[in-house]
Amino acid sequence: MKLMLTALAATTLTLTAPVVSAQESVAAEAATSAQTMVTAKVNGMVCDFCARAVTKVFGKEAAVENVHVDLDKGEIHVTLKSGAELSDERVATLVKKSGYDLVSIERETA
Amino acid sequence: MKPHRYAGCALAIGLALAPLNADARPVSYPSGWTVMQMNNGDMSSAHIHYSPTFTDSIGLYSERNWGEDWHFTGVQYNRLVKRWNKPNSQANLYLKAAVGQADPFGDGADVEAAGFVGIGADWETRRWFASYEGRAYDLGFDQDARQSARIGVAPYIGDYGDLHTWLMLQVENQPEAETPTTLTPLVRFFYDVQLLEIGYTPETEELMLNWIVRF
Repeated sequence: MKLMLTALAATTLTLTAPVVSAQESVAAEAATSAQTMVTAKVNGMVCDFCARAVTKVFGKEAAVENVHVDLDKGEIHVTLKSGAELSDERVATLVKKSGYDLVSIERETA
Repeated sequence: MKPHRYAGCALAIGLALAPLNADARPVSYPSGWTVMQMNNGDMSSAHIHYSPTFTDSIGLYSERNWGEDWHFTGVQYNRLVKRWNKPNSQANLYLKAAVGQADPFGDGADVEAAGFVGIGADWETRRWFASYEGRAYDLGFDQDARQSARIGVAPYIGDYGDLHTWLMLQVENQPEAETPTTLTPLVRFFYDVQLLEIGYTPETEELMLNWIVRF
């Protein structure tokens, strides 16, 4: 009986291990390919010509895929590359370099 | 013709075609370059500068003053002293200084060490604009000063990436000029990294043409 239980346990482990491993792999891949959009609300962004600095400054970051400026809302929308990260501190620095004052940061992961 | 002569000719042609107030944005983003070319009937100028930080820029400035008969060439430094960023407006205060040489063209006088200091300020919302700039020159053989102020309104509010249009009125005062105070209505357009201003001064019957590009 003991031998049978041992064999059953071994078989179960052998069959379930790849499934668990595959599930972890899919989860990890999803986490890696997740794309984050960072919205930085700023003060002072009233001029298109001057806001070109935002595109230039954020566009130089390796983690950034796309930058969009919304003058109506005073917001900078930054789409990050899959799996890339951009810390709040870095966003604040880039906003400052662009010549504006940061009000708030929101993140959305798709 | 040697390459540097081509460059000299290009600058001279440019100068023959570049006034004061479009220069109210003398600092760009870090590692950004700006070329400004400004003309009215009394003077033409060209200014190319590099911004190592968002508060400083340094570059070359050349101005030919047709009204006072002098030509200045030098190195100009601009400093953003203070910026006020508000939810619906921005205001800036700048200091400018240049050192170089000046020559009174046409009368055979020697070239002399020269320079100028200036102050610039602006305030704008997406609808309204106001600015002021003043400069004082020491040309060695002469001193000169001028100041100007502008008000402007945007007839429509464009989105980011649209062509933006401003209607402006500039008042300029040059005590040494034949017509010391002038009024110039002008139109400012900007699209992407380019800015163009076209105006006309009825008192002097002179055309204003300013152009700025950033890269």
